[in-house]
Amino acid sequence: MSDSAKTTWKVNQFTSIILVPFISYLIFKIIELSKLPYDEIISELSSAWSIFYILIFTILGLFHMRQGVNEIMEDYVHSQNFKKVFKFSISIFVFGILTFVCLSLLLILMV
Amino acid sequence: MVKFNLPDNSKLTKGDYFKSDIGSKNIKKFQIYRWSPEDERNPRMDTYEVDMNSCGPMVLDAVMKIKNEIDSSLTFRRSCREGICGSCAMNIDGTNTLACTKAINDVKGDIKIYPLPHMPVIKDLITNLKSLYTQLKSIKPWLHSKKTQATDVENIQSKEERSKLDGLYECILCACCSTSCPSYWWNSDKYLGPAVLLQSYRWLQDSRDEERKERLKELDDTFKVYRCHTIMNCTQACPKGLNPAEAIAGIKRMISQQS
Repeated sequence: MSDSAKTTWKVNQFTSIILVPFISYLIFKIIELSKLPYDEIISELSSAWSIFYILIFTILGLFHMRQGVNEIMEDYVHSQNFKKVFKFSISIFVFGILTFVCLSLLLILMV
Repeated sequence: MVKFNLPDNSKLTKGDYFKSDIGSKNIKKFQIYRWSPEDERNPRMDTYEVDMNSCGPMVLDAVMKIKNEIDSSLTFRRSCREGICGSCAMNIDGTNTLACTKAINDVKGDIKIYPLPHMPVIKDLITNLKSLYTQLKSIKPWLHSKKTQATDVENIQSKEERSKLDGLYECILCACCSTSCPSYWWNSDKYLGPAVLLQSYRWLQDSRDEERKERLKELDDTFKVYRCHTIMNCTQACPKGLNPAEAIAGIKRMISQQS
């Protein structure tokens, strides 16, 4: 238990710091893309760098979110059964979002 | 599980009104939380009119005046009346603080006084701090020495080593910080809370203590330290101007640096 507490805290700190440049770049990119026509947006998004960026950002973001929500569960939900149900639901939600992002990227590549 | 509503017998009701019969124009109203285990009544807010011309400048002066001259049944803890003992910690004007160091003039309008939040009330403004003291005992707040050195030899500490204890040793354990912490409200049985963790950090920082590793190992737990989410209520509430949040961050840093 103790190992996981220290590791969870360290991973949470690490992902939060790593996400700062990712989010800054995302804001910059959204502003840039909003000025382009549809065809150029698609070609921009289907570049190898964009696919890599979106995948890494999604995985890191979802991982950070899942860990954060699990912390909130630890804080407020004291029933072990409820906690298990909530944590499982969060994992399903995260997996769903990740699948959705991967499918979207596939569709962009196929256009 | 978090409860969103108070049980019916905990709902606060309007209490008695104690009007001043002195006829002074310099009157301040004090609304004070009252509850006694001896009757079946719900907690109530009694209102007292206090003549400020014959009252000291601090909230504790007024509360003592109420007890001595208006309502002797009002119950509260107090001792040193100079911010050293921490006995008169209560929630005044929405903030946990010491009644003896809180000036009446700092509060605009009526002064509302409640016991420290989220603690079991014994009577009126007195809360049960037993769990906090049990947690304090669990961190072994005394110097640990493995050496079998003679007791007549001074255990020397440099000025730099001693300065690390500044901002830590001044804690008077009034519990204002712990009882203002939402994480402590929800998990007071497992999370140690800012007051106890500040004490723990005080011993971790002491160069003469020889059980730092053991202390850190004890603290490395999902609940004992890591329920702190840096909300900073503790630092804002501390009547001594200390920074328990920084101490908790220090503990986390020390645990993470430990192999």
